[in-house]
Amino acid sequence: MNLRHFEILSLSLRYLFVLLVLYILTVSFIKTIWDNNRINTRGTSGKVPFIIALFSLSAFGLLAGLGSLGYDYFVLLLGLLVSLVVVFQFYFLYYFIDGIDEVILSIVDFLFVIGLVTLQRLSPELAVKQLLWFILGNIGLFFLMLFFSRDKGLSKWTYPMMVFGLLTLLAVLFFAEEEWGAKRYISIRNISVQPSEFFKLLFIVVLSYWLCERKSFLKNLPLFLFSSLSVILVVLHKDLGSALQYFIVFIFVYYISSSDRAVVIMALLAASLGSLLSYKIFPHVRVRLKAWRNPWEDVYGGGYQLAQSLIAIGSGGMLGLGLGLGEPHVIPASRTDFIFAAICEEFGLIVGLSIILLFCIILLRGMRIGLNASKASDMLLASGATITICIQAFIIIGGVTNLIPLTGITLPFVSYGGSSMFVSLCIIGIIEGISIKNAQLANKEGDIKAEGEGGNENN
Amino acid sequence: MKTISKNIKKSLLIILMMFIILIIYISFSVYRYSDRWFSDPSNSRVNIDMTNPSLIPGMVLDRNMKVLVESKSRIENGQEIYYRQYSRESKYASHVIGSRQLGIGVESHFIRSLLGYDNSMLETIYQKMSDDKEKGNNVILTIDIELQKYAYDLLANEKGAILLLNPKNGEILAMVSSPAIDLQNTNNRPEGETLVNKVTQGMYPPGSIMKLVTASALLEQKGEQGPFVFNCNGQNLIDDIKINCAGTKAHGLVDLPKALELSCNGYFAQVAINLGRQGLKDMGERFGFNKDFLFNDFICGKSVLELNKNTKTEELAWSGIGQAEVLVTPLHMALLVSSIGNNGNIPEPRLLHAVQKWNGEIHYRKNTKPILKPISPQTANELKGMMVNVVEQGTGKEAYRKNLQIAGKTGTAQVGGDKLAHAWFVGLAPAENPSLAIVVLIENSGSGGKHAAPIAADLLEKATKLGY
Repeated sequence: MNLRHFEILSLSLRYLFVLLVLYILTVSFIKTIWDNNRINTRGTSGKVPFIIALFSLSAFGLLAGLGSLGYDYFVLLLGLLVSLVVVFQFYFLYYFIDGIDEVILSIVDFLFVIGLVTLQRLSPELAVKQLLWFILGNIGLFFLMLFFSRDKGLSKWTYPMMVFGLLTLLAVLFFAEEEWGAKRYISIRNISVQPSEFFKLLFIVVLSYWLCERKSFLKNLPLFLFSSLSVILVVLHKDLGSALQYFIVFIFVYYISSSDRAVVIMALLAASLGSLLSYKIFPHVRVRLKAWRNPWEDVYGGGYQLAQSLIAIGSGGMLGLGLGLGEPHVIPASRTDFIFAAICEEFGLIVGLSIILLFCIILLRGMRIGLNASKASDMLLASGATITICIQAFIIIGGVTNLIPLTGITLPFVSYGGSSMFVSLCIIGIIEGISIKNAQLANKEGDIKAEGEGGNENN
Repeated sequence: MKTISKNIKKSLLIILMMFIILIIYISFSVYRYSDRWFSDPSNSRVNIDMTNPSLIPGMVLDRNMKVLVESKSRIENGQEIYYRQYSRESKYASHVIGSRQLGIGVESHFIRSLLGYDNSMLETIYQKMSDDKEKGNNVILTIDIELQKYAYDLLANEKGAILLLNPKNGEILAMVSSPAIDLQNTNNRPEGETLVNKVTQGMYPPGSIMKLVTASALLEQKGEQGPFVFNCNGQNLIDDIKINCAGTKAHGLVDLPKALELSCNGYFAQVAINLGRQGLKDMGERFGFNKDFLFNDFICGKSVLELNKNTKTEELAWSGIGQAEVLVTPLHMALLVSSIGNNGNIPEPRLLHAVQKWNGEIHYRKNTKPILKPISPQTANELKGMMVNVVEQGTGKEAYRKNLQIAGKTGTAQVGGDKLAHAWFVGLAPAENPSLAIVVLIENSGSGGKHAAPIAADLLEKATKLGY
């Protein structure tokens, strides 16, 4: 395949990619609108994995011709492997686990595949690693799903979990290596882990089990202390994105459990004070804020990342420049934080906006699983887990498009990052676990074919 | 449980709203700004790479199809070397043409067309299949290089700016920023001030040109009680603020036409005070002050008219006559005067006449809608009549021509210190039904009537002879 042919093929394939993405989006959306009852109806989304496989095969098949050394069959093989993994994972869970939310599952698979294609395009050596992490993450998803689909009294474990979590974050402060000015990773041999990612999992569980019983303000104090300490510790890691995410998740979960506006307002005030303080103390916060207000003021300095990101998005236009025809590698951190801009450049704005809409569907379905749950702790777990994933997506997509100040964080399932991929899949495991539990309960009650939410109110 | 359900639904709505805002924001900003982002000089995707191009950038032509820039190749050591050839006449339009390396001018701004990124997919594929090397599209500008040269010569060695455009459709016929830059030799990058196109991005105090805004506000006032008159004694004290007229000359009892004709500072300072901060600011903003113009064809600076509650009366009075903190771009003043010549409508200024596709087809740009409508047709016509008087018997006498009726307004903007004032002249011709609007600005040269007015009249005469 010479360069000309590659270009022509890539330009034409843009339409196929857009069509496939829109198909997945439409099917997921229709499924979400239609199954108002709490048991998942099976049907159309059974085909979605094959669409994802088609996407993966055509994208990898195209990328195999990108190199100057002729057609690289290894890349095509990788594409085949990815398709197999996705199809196997989906149908294994779809047929053997009753009550699983297969729409969320297929969306996650698609997001992973489009991220992997972009990684293969940007730095092929990372793509294989990412695939391994995806497989590992699915094991985590499976076990957490089984764990949370049964009744477990985790309430008595909240204190030990809190202490353990805080100690880990503290340890990062001392043992982590600096990268991009932030202390995030602890390296053990060759594997580096990002504790602040794993902490998210613990954070959701602690919040849900603590708040599932109504407590007085005073009795909630240990939780407040824990939450604020974790946010402060992560700010000290200079991991502002995660800090913002913890904070927002806390606000939402706390409000959902208690409807207590006073504390929410207090927390918001404390946060504004905190951000003002960090603005005064940390120079990197000032740089970020200045870049947010006008990235074009200092295109080659503080605003470089954002300007390059916007240029990439603007260059892509509606349909994108074509896979392999853009220059996404000039965007800083294009494999991790800025992967959304890289996708927009080569796949186009339609695909970019579709990704946001797919997160919206995860939000709708996840929150509905929370609504259908029978216990307060499960309701909080499912909604908290959903909010964690969706807020993370919002923070980073809003950041790279300059809607909100940029704080470095991964785009769940899409960005490169082992810890992030593993933890995001585990969080999906929690949501799926609750979904299975809901289905089991509905089966027990014997009204499998119940229609409408109102028909099945528990207690 | 009930409250938890209710709160989950509330949270769902909040986060959904956040995502919807995000989607709307991204779509809007891509729709609005993507061309600008794309042509940004730091976008390495579209740099004109001449070492071994697979794609040859198109030509830049003037409205009469005279070539200004083209891609050429020569054989050197058995290798074909491509380069961008600037024509001899291109030096008269150096800021208009610009270059990709410097990130200015149409070479940078219309890079999408020059490199053929605006072709449809079928066209691109056809080109990739058939030709040895792909060709970009030719960009045809609204500039007439003959007029451009004439304007360039008129400015001679002065620092300043000239802009000539059609007030009806906004087509720019000549745009000179002086001193020019040497495009052939971009190795020694020109310094910041020279690099800026003064017409679109230079910020200057407007001086008496601002009186047109103040006058419009007075004319547009509803329910007026007869014409406003003022007794000028040359050294006026208004609310304890000293406002001198040029040469402390007493103008006596003046009404609006007379005040504009003689450019009476006292009169307009008093009008500004009567209008109040909000009144003057509103009128200014209707004319496009404080507005981020998002023109398709170039990037334009934002004119500043900052008046708020904390503004002192003294500052308000000086703002009414274009001093104090008021800053404008020459382009903006040309648009302002265009509205007077175009029944109160401001057209979008345009530099791109047409795009000639690689296969020779010419796609003319569609006419765009007026971007602003600051004043009513009556106000516009009244002001135009007064501006004719300015040239026939007022401060703009030097712009008087026997065979061409010109409407104009002079400005002499003080810059502080012991530097000479900036000389301004804005004008319309022929006054009956203007097809030309002009702005001339000469930095630190003295009075507008003496230095800017004759240049403007010469250029207008020349343009009329050429049939514009």
